[in-house]
Amino acid sequence: MVSAFPLTLFSPVLLLLVSAIALSRPGIGPGGFPKWSEMVAFAALLLSAGGLVQFWLFGPNRIELLNGGMLLAMRADLVSITMAILVSFIGWVVMRYSRTYLDGEDQEGSFHGLMLSTLACVLVLVQAASMAMLLIASVAVGLTLKRLLLFYRHRPQAQRASIKFALVWHGGDLALLVSAIVFAIAFGTGDIAALADTATATGLGVIGNLGVAFLVLAAILKTAAFPLHGWLTEVMEAPTPVSALLHAGIINSGGVILITAAGLVQASPGSMAALVMIGGLTALFGAMVMLTQSAIKTSLAWSTISQMGFMLLQCGLGLWALALLHIVAHSLYKAHAFLSSGGAVSAVAALRRPGPVAVPSLAAVLRSFALALVLYGLIATTFTLFIGPKTAQALALGAILIFGVAYLVAQGLADLAPAELTRRTVAASAAAAIAYFSFQAAAHLAWGGALPKAPIPGPLEWALIVLAVLSFGIVAFAQALFPLWAHHPATAGLRVHLANGLYLNALLDRAIGGFQTTATKGNLGERHV
Amino acid sequence: MFETHARLAPGRLSDILKSAERAARRIPPAFPLAATVAVNPFLGQGDEDLATASARLARVAGISATQAASQYALALREGKITDEDLTAALAASPFKQKPADISALKAAATNPDTHSPIRPFPTVADLAAELTGTDWPSVIEKSVGLWAAGHFDQGQALWSPTPGMEAYDAWRAWAMHDLTPEIAGLSGFCAHVCAIPDTAERAILRASGALGLSEASAETVFHRLYMDLGGWSQHARWLLWQAELAGGSDQTLVGILAIRLIWEEALLAHVPGVADKWAQTVAAHGETLMPGAGHIALAILQDAMERAHQRHLANALGGLEGSTISAERPFLQAAFCIDVRSEVYRRALESVDPTIETIGFAGFFGLPLSHKAKGSDIADAHLPVLLSPAIETTSHCDTACEHEVRITARTVRAWGRFRQAAVSSFAFVEAAGPLYAAKLVSNALGLSGKATGTEPTPRPVAAMAADTKADMAATVLKAMSLHEGHGKIVLLLGHGGHVTNNPHESAYQCGACGGHTGEVSARLLAEILNEPETRAGLADRGISLPQDTLFVAGLHDTTSDEVTLFDQDAPTARAAELQKVRSWLQQAGRLARAERAPKLPRATEKTVAARAYNWAEVRPEWGLAGCAAFIAAPRNATSGRNLGGRAFLHSYDWQADQGFGVLELILTAPVVVASWISLQYYGSSIAPDVFGGGNKLIHNVVGGIGVIEGNGGRLRPGLPMQTVHDGERLVHEPLRLSVMIEAPREAIADVLARHPGVRSLFDNGWLHLFALKDGKLDARYHAGLCWSEMATERLAA
Repeated sequence: MVSAFPLTLFSPVLLLLVSAIALSRPGIGPGGFPKWSEMVAFAALLLSAGGLVQFWLFGPNRIELLNGGMLLAMRADLVSITMAILVSFIGWVVMRYSRTYLDGEDQEGSFHGLMLSTLACVLVLVQAASMAMLLIASVAVGLTLKRLLLFYRHRPQAQRASIKFALVWHGGDLALLVSAIVFAIAFGTGDIAALADTATATGLGVIGNLGVAFLVLAAILKTAAFPLHGWLTEVMEAPTPVSALLHAGIINSGGVILITAAGLVQASPGSMAALVMIGGLTALFGAMVMLTQSAIKTSLAWSTISQMGFMLLQCGLGLWALALLHIVAHSLYKAHAFLSSGGAVSAVAALRRPGPVAVPSLAAVLRSFALALVLYGLIATTFTLFIGPKTAQALALGAILIFGVAYLVAQGLADLAPAELTRRTVAASAAAAIAYFSFQAAAHLAWGGALPKAPIPGPLEWALIVLAVLSFGIVAFAQALFPLWAHHPATAGLRVHLANGLYLNALLDRAIGGFQTTATKGNLGERHV
Repeated sequence: MFETHARLAPGRLSDILKSAERAARRIPPAFPLAATVAVNPFLGQGDEDLATASARLARVAGISATQAASQYALALREGKITDEDLTAALAASPFKQKPADISALKAAATNPDTHSPIRPFPTVADLAAELTGTDWPSVIEKSVGLWAAGHFDQGQALWSPTPGMEAYDAWRAWAMHDLTPEIAGLSGFCAHVCAIPDTAERAILRASGALGLSEASAETVFHRLYMDLGGWSQHARWLLWQAELAGGSDQTLVGILAIRLIWEEALLAHVPGVADKWAQTVAAHGETLMPGAGHIALAILQDAMERAHQRHLANALGGLEGSTISAERPFLQAAFCIDVRSEVYRRALESVDPTIETIGFAGFFGLPLSHKAKGSDIADAHLPVLLSPAIETTSHCDTACEHEVRITARTVRAWGRFRQAAVSSFAFVEAAGPLYAAKLVSNALGLSGKATGTEPTPRPVAAMAADTKADMAATVLKAMSLHEGHGKIVLLLGHGGHVTNNPHESAYQCGACGGHTGEVSARLLAEILNEPETRAGLADRGISLPQDTLFVAGLHDTTSDEVTLFDQDAPTARAAELQKVRSWLQQAGRLARAERAPKLPRATEKTVAARAYNWAEVRPEWGLAGCAAFIAAPRNATSGRNLGGRAFLHSYDWQADQGFGVLELILTAPVVVASWISLQYYGSSIAPDVFGGGNKLIHNVVGGIGVIEGNGGRLRPGLPMQTVHDGERLVHEPLRLSVMIEAPREAIADVLARHPGVRSLFDNGWLHLFALKDGKLDARYHAGLCWSEMATERLAA
């Protein structure tokens, strides 16, 4: 009966068990426990890999408890197994890191316990198949993560960050709850697959659209999208492995919720349009703020905000497989970036060693965009010939990505760049372009069958596609010309406003009392004056 | 401020600016982490003693310059400090208000008054926070921190502020646009900034007027505000340090004070309710700085603790009886840096074979280098930061190879910008993100970062004349007390610590080489010493160097205790000898690792080396933690004695030092560098919040120059908590350095008399000084160029 129970579902149980042991020894030097916590994280990874084998042999699987709106269901399909492998892989790396990193901390034992239980909750979340299950897992992730963010609870900054996080995250849970209730009332079930089938067959109706709107709202809050992104830029108050897990495993749960409910969400064009707009705006906003940040972890946090926005944009365009690819790729990259952020000193020092950066002129930038578009044409045609035609949305996304590559080409085309450098940057550009088209093709092959196809674009979709391509194109072009205007006095104010994230976080602080003194401060100066 | 102020009115105005300059010079410089060196955090307090420094720092930073009273109480309970130590320390204290006897002194260690936390004098921001409930200090810290992070950025952010602006002008341009203060409730701040004076000096004067500062109160008010900005002030102080070393000046530090004063001025206007309390505070700042009874008692207890350590050291040294100087020529002589980590390895190496001798010398080997590494346009100063470079060297390879290296580096850089830039970051993630799975595995298993090829041999940019080389070689050899009796092989070993993913990497490197490894210096010196034209000139300069002596450079990796030899150019005829040396070095490495392993968390002799490649390791090695003594003497005074890796060992033979030139060099360079190191460890241990680098687990590297904790705020110079603490207790016992020199007292006193800066370190007790005679403590130095016999001290005890 190997096929009866999905192996991937064992891992959260196992992690929770060991976590309970850890929490019973919360203090410093919990004996051999840190080793155990790494071992159990590795066991979870093996179980997830076993789940994949099981899937190949026996096909998708699910288990259920209760029914109707209260249905608690877990699934083992290609999407959930992918996420389970991703999360447990990151989990293993992070727990192995913590084993050394946390050595000698006062709360060493409880750190391992909390990390393992957070990991378990995330694993449940990515495998949830019903609204109630999603909700329970999401609330649990919020609760355990909040305790991790308060690991240094004497720090006022940590207190502020955790309050802000809880507010936004559990706000998302509230939206998820409303959505679950609406679906239960309208369709009598919390089974996401069944909901998607109903929505496709009979349409959502007004109430169904409302349910999807709340679901999308939940996803937006949980991915730290504009304008409530502020909490994510403050949570490096916890040890680095927490940031790595958060940015690689937890922040994308909004995306996981959307992809899980892809059929449902796609039935609501309004929600899809909202995703495109908010996602696209967040992506560009976050990326521009990132440019101005001088602290490595802060800059990485803004990068996550923008990458998650981009992922929401992909969801809104109906490119579900690509959104999943983006989650996987971003998680791996960002986990590494956080864990290795201590190398930033030598990385910056190395930048200045080979001499000044060659600045491309306007003509060089124009040439680079032309070259990149030619490259795109060639590669897109090749892939079309071998794999079949692409949708308008996929082509638009490809164009956006190729604008990014143009930047790489532009650096090589700068007048002062030696020919050898030009050759290498062009080669790197081609390699990058081929790599992501290949990864995208692989993503379609792997997950395309399990996820809905992108909708045929109507006037609204076309308008959004054009808007997205234009705005990303303009920003890409401006960025390639960056050195020519970034230090002009006229843009000094713009830089200040962007460096402050357009003050949205400050406004939120003002609204929730984030500028107030915290309990640990106050009564200054009593002694001497 | 650091120049003349012809355009400003004389009198009171210039008094305020003089106060500002005095306050500025009380701030220690913080070197950027790319090449950091230890700095004495009490550099600005060098003209006063420990108790007075405590009083000053209590006022401006809320700390004491001593350990917490509970630490002394513990040491007394454990019997580490004896009554004799207390008696001697009490007698040595010059203060009238000192405890009457040692029981009063003991009582001070347990008195609850000396235990209560100290708060610095409040700033206007503190007072305003108390009155309004808005956390103004935190708003200022974050807002100024965000500006400063960008302003001092060396290349982290792609969009940096306009380069080349003075700090004050740059901040004004920033603050005119920054809406955060107004959102936090300080309405009209942008307009206030628009109306500030055009220069930092004028702004300081205007704000001082508004704040009601007098000449008497200004200095510590300013010092308080500098301390409030923590590492940013210290970074600015470093800019001034560098500028003055090169004969210029720098206005950043003035700007920093003006910026902080403008905030105070604005807050006082915004919250007039604090005016009374502020006036009281200013009045308190105006009072003469006098150490309180608590400060004095704690300073005496600190001295007693140091005397306890000196007692142990005196026993350990015990003189030359029993030690023999072998008359035979040694086969191997190995010169190490004076760094305390060398002590363990030297002892291990000497124990391997009786024909091995070791030497201690500053790790830059006396060569003041400005060096360009392979593929680099940047010249790094490989020398103690007190000196200016005099020799330009390079490790560049030939033109084609150099071109190739740079093209590769520039491609990598272009790829990095592709990763970082706005729209291209999405393309980067989709194209390269999945490949990071492999990187995660390789880093997690500690497989990355091991393959490092050897850099090309360093060489002077301008060819040096044979005479110059011979002069230089003779000077260095004499300074190492290597006039004659050279071994068949002489190793010149620089040192460096291999660590992974550690922002404080350069803090593990050689301090005498400006925070770089000693590789370049050692290799260059070996090369010069092996050249026939250099050697031809040595005999005339009083050095008799045998024909068959071969100099070989090497690098001692202090994390793994492995030694790499750079003997590619050595004659093949010597290969067998070098093989023998290698096997000795390996044996010594095993012994040294076995000695160090029990002190390192989770380590055994076998696993010590792997710490260098573990990207999660926050305690790869203990660095110079524990350092407590500096001994300049012939090696036979210390050889065979276990000094626990806590002593800087400088080889010195006064009888061969005609005119005491080498003694002067030792007292003015290596001793000062060692004192900076010891006081940095001291400061980071006793005042981790003010002088320590914070918690590595939440470090956030900023601008490539330093770290902040968490999501923003103050730059944190100094050593991180994990460098001096193992989680349960301090690994570094905070003691001021005991300097012991085998030389006639008069000669030592003579050098001090000629160097008032160095003398004040000893006179004010930042360092203890002893004269050795035949390897035994002979006399203790006292302020005013006086000595007391150690024999009487022991008798008195």
